Amino acid sequence: MRLVRAIGQVALAVLNTVGAVSLFALRGLAALLTGPWFFGQLLRQLSAIGFFSLPVVGLTAVFTGAALALNIYVGGGRFNAEQIMPQIVALGITRELGPVLAALMLAGRVSATIAAEIGAMRATEQIDAMRTLSTDPFRYLVVPRLVAAVIALPLLTVVADTIGIAGGWLVATRFLDFNATVYVRNTVDFIEGWDVVSGLIKATAFGFIVALMGCYYGYTASGGARGVGRASTHAVVAAAMLIFASDYLMSFWFSRL
Amino acid sequence: MRGQWIETLMGFVVLALAAAFLIYVVRVGGFEGVRRGYEVSARFGDVGSLAPGATVSVAGVKIGTVSRVSLDPKTYLAQVDLAIDPEIKLPADSSAKITSDSLLGGVHVAVAAGGSPEDLKPGGEIENTQGAVDLFGLIGQVVRPQPSGDPANED
Repeated sequence: MRLVRAIGQVALAVLNTVGAVSLFALRGLAALLTGPWFFGQLLRQLSAIGFFSLPVVGLTAVFTGAALALNIYVGGGRFNAEQIMPQIVALGITRELGPVLAALMLAGRVSATIAAEIGAMRATEQIDAMRTLSTDPFRYLVVPRLVAAVIALPLLTVVADTIGIAGGWLVATRFLDFNATVYVRNTVDFIEGWDVVSGLIKATAFGFIVALMGCYYGYTASGGARGVGRASTHAVVAAAMLIFASDYLMSFWFSRL
Repeated sequence: MRGQWIETLMGFVVLALAAAFLIYVVRVGGFEGVRRGYEVSARFGDVGSLAPGATVSVAGVKIGTVSRVSLDPKTYLAQVDLAIDPEIKLPADSSAKITSDSLLGGVHVAVAAGGSPEDLKPGGEIENTQGAVDLFGLIGQVVRPQPSGDPANED
């Protein structure tokens, strides 16, 4: 009986969280649709979430592209198919690694920041103060971050795709005797629009997840400084797990199309 | 705020690198553009599964890649463009043959250097070619011989 109770407790807690996050997301969407909108905040978040993530995303992408190229070269070499490497690298980067790695870097960088920011405001009762001054914290804090992440992550993914393929190209032409021109041509001839677009659709969803997790755990933080720390940890972990899970689901759908 | 400036600069550097590579890709990936390595062409009766990116070799050593495979609409021969390492000069009477890397694997272009004192010019054509051997066609002929010769099977 105790076992059943324990299992039930866990299940209820999970359901509870899922429901709370969904309600939180719906509230965010409602606030987004009805306004008023804080465009200054949106611009500030766009630069913080988007522009200042460029160095991290770029570095991740170039090393991933380079390592991917080397490994696929080795794997292809096992059945004399090294020459297919540019195509596989391009496909892997655009469909999968570009969006996922950009999203993971953003989860580490942005989810934590958002959760800590909003969590600290919650802990110091600034959110309540805001409400007293009849500024809706949802519209002022949550909506700009959600919108900024949803806009920024696809753009970052475009940069990550480009730099990732450039990383593979660099290794292939410097160390693996690929012809630079042929490499680029093979990539361009092989890649279809859908490869890039499906990655960008994924990135849009990941952007929403990243900002939503940060906002949710920050907004619901409790218990002072420790609560804020816990909130940012939870935000990063939850964002990363949701990114992987939704990535699989979306890949599954896209592969059926 | 000084750290912020460095980050801003890094952001622009990343954007600039991505833009530079994109411009390079557009210039090269388009149909006209600068290319490294000189191009020569060869016409084959049958290229089999030869695709852009396949190796071009002399004596088993890689000297370039196949950059384009297209069909000559007049002669119905396969027109293959090869990008050759500029340091390798091929004699003008070299011959090209499409051979398999392995029994079922991909194919590559093997070039046999000729003896002519003149070099093959960029944009020139390798005249002496031998296309891919249709392995399954050969097997089919042995298993079930046709009275008339199979046009796909050339020597």
